[in-house]
Formats: sequence, C-alpha cells, structure tokens
Amino acid sequence: MIRLVDLQVQVGGFHLRNISLEVPRGGYALIIGPTGSGKTTLLEAIAGHAPLRAGRVFMHDDDVTRLPPERRGLGFVYQQYHLFPHLTVRHNIGYGLPGRGSNNGNNGDRIEELAELLAITPLLDRPIRGLSGGEQQRVALARALAPRPSILLLDEPFAAVDPATRQVLRRELRQLHEREGITTLQVTHDFDEALRLGDLVAVLSEGRIAQSGTPEQVFRYPNSAFVARFIGTGNVIAGTVERSESGSDTVPFPGRFKAENLVLDVVAEREGPSHAVVRPEDIVLSLAEHRDSARNHKEGTVVRLERGGPVTLVHLDVGRPLIASITSTSAEDMSLRAGMRVILSFKATAIHLV
Amino acid sequence: MLFIIGPLLRLLLLASPQTLGDALRDAELRDSIALTIVTATLATLLAALLGVPLAYLLARRSFPGHRIIQGIVDLPVVIPHPVAGIALLLFLGRRSPVGSVLAQFGLEFVSHVPGIVAAMLFVSAPILVSGAREAFRGVDPQLERVARTLGDTAWSAFRRVTLPLAGRGILAGSILAWARSISEFGSIVILTYNPKVASIFIFDRFTAFGLPAAVPAAVILLLVALAVFLLVRLLQPEDRR
Repeated sequence: MIRLVDLQVQVGGFHLRNISLEVPRGGYALIIGPTGSGKTTLLEAIAGHAPLRAGRVFMHDDDVTRLPPERRGLGFVYQQYHLFPHLTVRHNIGYGLPGRGSNNGNNGDRIEELAELLAITPLLDRPIRGLSGGEQQRVALARALAPRPSILLLDEPFAAVDPATRQVLRRELRQLHEREGITTLQVTHDFDEALRLGDLVAVLSEGRIAQSGTPEQVFRYPNSAFVARFIGTGNVIAGTVERSESGSDTVPFPGRFKAENLVLDVVAEREGPSHAVVRPEDIVLSLAEHRDSARNHKEGTVVRLERGGPVTLVHLDVGRPLIASITSTSAEDMSLRAGMRVILSFKATAIHLV
Repeated sequence: MLFIIGPLLRLLLLASPQTLGDALRDAELRDSIALTIVTATLATLLAALLGVPLAYLLARRSFPGHRIIQGIVDLPVVIPHPVAGIALLLFLGRRSPVGSVLAQFGLEFVSHVPGIVAAMLFVSAPILVSGAREAFRGVDPQLERVARTLGDTAWSAFRRVTLPLAGRGILAGSILAWARSISEFGSIVILTYNPKVASIFIFDRFTAFGLPAAVPAAVILLLVALAVFLLVRLLQPEDRR
C-alpha cells in the first residue's frame, strides 16, 4: 500500500501541492497528466529523492517520510532506463541483490528466473551498449524487480519503445504485477494506457490532483473541462445551463445548455456557466429523422471521415464542430461521405456537465 | 606542426643506445630522475586525495561559494611559475608563521624534498581537479539515484557506480597532473634547487658544462613525457578523442 497525505514538494520553481492518494496493497495505479504537470517529481518524492516541504508518505502503514531511498524497499524504473553502462546485463539485474549481485546460489537463481520471465536470458552476459530500447526496458524492469520490492514505481516505462513492443511489454507488466502482487504506481501521459492497465487513476494538472478514481469513472465522468479534454473524451463544449421549468427546485432538473450556435436538452444539477462533455460514441447518426427516446436531434454536415480500423470518427458541423464515432461497418452501410447531411441524436443523460 | 615535431625529432635522434647508456650510468642523473618520479607521484597522490572529493562536490552540488572555490582551484594556472615559487617560499619558509609551525613537526620545505612536492602540488592540482570534475560531470546523476532505490547508501552508490564510471577520466587527469609535476621547473628552482629534480638537473648541467652534458638527461625526460602522453591518449574514451 502507498498512502500520500497532503504532500507538498518544491523542486526549483516547480511545486506539487496537496497531493493525497492511496493505492491499496497489490493495486495498480496510474498517474496521468500532460508534460510538466509534476508526474516525475511526484514519483521522485515518493522514492525519497525530492525533499518534501510538508506531508507524509506511508508504505504499508509504515511512515517512511524521513527514510532515505535505500530503506524504502521500492523498485523504480526510469523513463530512460538508466542502466549501469559499466556492468553486464546480469550484473545490472543483480545490482540490488545482497552480496554484490554475484552469480552465487539464490542470487543467480533470481536473475535467471527474471531473465526467463522477461525473455532476456540470451542477453545476460552482454554489455548494456548495443541493447535495443525494448531490451533495455526489460533489463531495467528485471533490475527493479530482482530484490522483490513490495512497491514498484514506473516513470513512463513505455515512452521510448515502438508501439508493437509497447503492447507486449504492457501485457507482460500486467502479468508480472499479478504474479508478484506488487503495489504499482505508474506515470504516463497516455490515458489509453491507464484504461488498459490501472485499477486507479489520478489526473495531475499543474502540481495538483485534478481527479482520481477508477479509470472507468474518470473516463465516464470527468470532473472538469481540463480532465475531459486531457483524457480525450471528444466533445467538450463551453456554455451555460438554464432551468427549463423555472420555479421548480428539484435536483437534478431538466435544463437547457446554451452554447455558441448550439442548444442541448440536458439533465443538470446546477445552473450557470458549465462545460458539456459528449462522448463521440454516444452520438447516433442517421440519414432520416425518426422519433426515439433521444431528446437531442440536430442536423449537421459531415466534414471529414477518419477511419481507424473497426471504428470511424466522423467530424461534423452542426453550426459548431462535433465528433461522433460509429462502427466502420455502419459508416459503409450509410455510405457516409464528406458533405452529406445527417441527423445526430443523443440522449440528454449522455451529456455530462462539468 | 613542423615547429612542434622538428625540435623534438632533433632531440630524439640523439637518443642512440650509446648516449642513453651513458646517461643511465650517470649516478647523479639516475638519482635526480628517481627523485622526480617519487616526488611527482607523492604530489599526485596528495592532489587526488584532496582533489577528487572536491571535484565531486564541484560537479554535483551547488552551494554558496561554488564559483569562488572553482576560481581559486583554477588560479594557479595563470600564475607564472617563478611567482608561485616566491609565494610558496614566503608562505612555507622558516620565518613565516605556517612554515615555522610545520618546521616544529620536522617538515622543512625550503631546500628539502617536501618543498619539491609542495611546488608540484601547487601547479598540478588544478589539472587533476578539473579533469576529475569533468569526469564526474560525464556520469549521469540519475544513475546514483537508481542505485539508491536498489538499496545502496549514498557512499556505496558513489563507490559502485559513479567512481567506476568516472575512473578513466580521473586517471587521465591524474596522469596529466603527474606529467605536469615532472616537467615543473620555475617554482621548484626557487623553492628547492637542491636536491635536484630532473628539470633542474638538466638546467644545471647546461649552465655548468654546456649543451652536450644536458642532452642525455633531456632525452630521457622527453621519453618519459611521450610515454605519459600515449597513456593518456589510450585512456580517453573513443568518442572524445
């Protein structure tokens, strides 16, 4: 378990403020955020490399706030791997093992075991120079895991490998996590990775946690326009909420969301300036208008189609740009083309107001 | 190019087995070369002992006075060697406060071996410190952090990662400092003319007996210098050559 209580960190001119987060034992949490949001600094603070101005760090109920990095019992995998260039692969992996990571007895077994698990056995006696990015990544992972840490910190571990290798490594990492039961905290700027890997996500923005929760929660219900835009929810529209039936004061209430060139029927909880978040897959496209339970029907023009395998993104103009996503099969069925007039419909409840 | 190679080649061509044999049979010359090597080695060890930790601090930490200390370390490079010799004489001489205290502990500098070491240390330490500093700068500080998370204390991370990686650079800097000590003349001639190190021996022979008497010793010193040069070249990593 990792528990951060009201962490304040300052490194140079950069601040992390009021960081509180709990990763349960054996959990897999991801910290996502744009470049410069403080993700790496947060990991360094947890590892004990960056001095805290305030707050406490707990690991499995032990307060480690004042412990030096070597006594925190954690593994750290850096974005640029940082393998020791003067040692072989074997000695890199064995570095953190007792007895100088030599090849004797248990140490040798642990090195062989990890090498086999990560498919790098043939590399064991090679120097670091000349390894590919993916190979270095595996060695870095094996090196961090060798001393059996109970906590693993990963700083964008897949940023520097090609997409195919990334997918394989992701799957292996998740398997390793389940096998070794390590509480894992990973930093990424890729929300897709968070959806695939994490039990818990925290979105970091300018040194603060903007939102945390399960990936599904954060994806479904972003709590701010920033989070919605950052995780790529699709349509984030600025506007104002008004009550449809004035006088009633029920919550939630049926309302109207007014934005530039667009009015939507919504279910709202408060009035005033707001952002409407509409996920592209919640917008249904049809060629002719037909009455259904959806409250919002808009006529629009297809601007551009963006085919991405099984799903096609449709860029539309309804007086303002909107994006819908439909299966590529139905795009074929409707023979969608740029310039076509289509009807967009979506439920009032599919509009998430933040 | 020719200006550098020409004189050296001219001197080397005189290095027949005959002259070298003569030179090595000269007991005085043998003694002075031995003295030079011993004192230069002592000066280099002292410089390394004090200079390597300082170089690490200068490379890795920022602290108040960083630039000032950096400047002080580099200062001897711009001071003419006889001036350094005079300054050292005033500082370490028997009538100076420091020199008189040290003399009570049996450490005499003027016209004694420690004077040679002191002069060599003064002129060669900056070379060692800047060499070691650059070597430390060439090692990614993140590597030490990785070692810390793998269970190393700050000291063992330094010993197991940074020192081995900076080792070649530090060694190259030490050899350059050693060579600088071997070639020192200006400050030693003021502080400790006797016993004579090789460079003073050559000067002495030249002034007393003329050119032919100075040549064998000069050839030997040149050969030592060339060997050092080759060694440093071999130590430098390929990408920086």
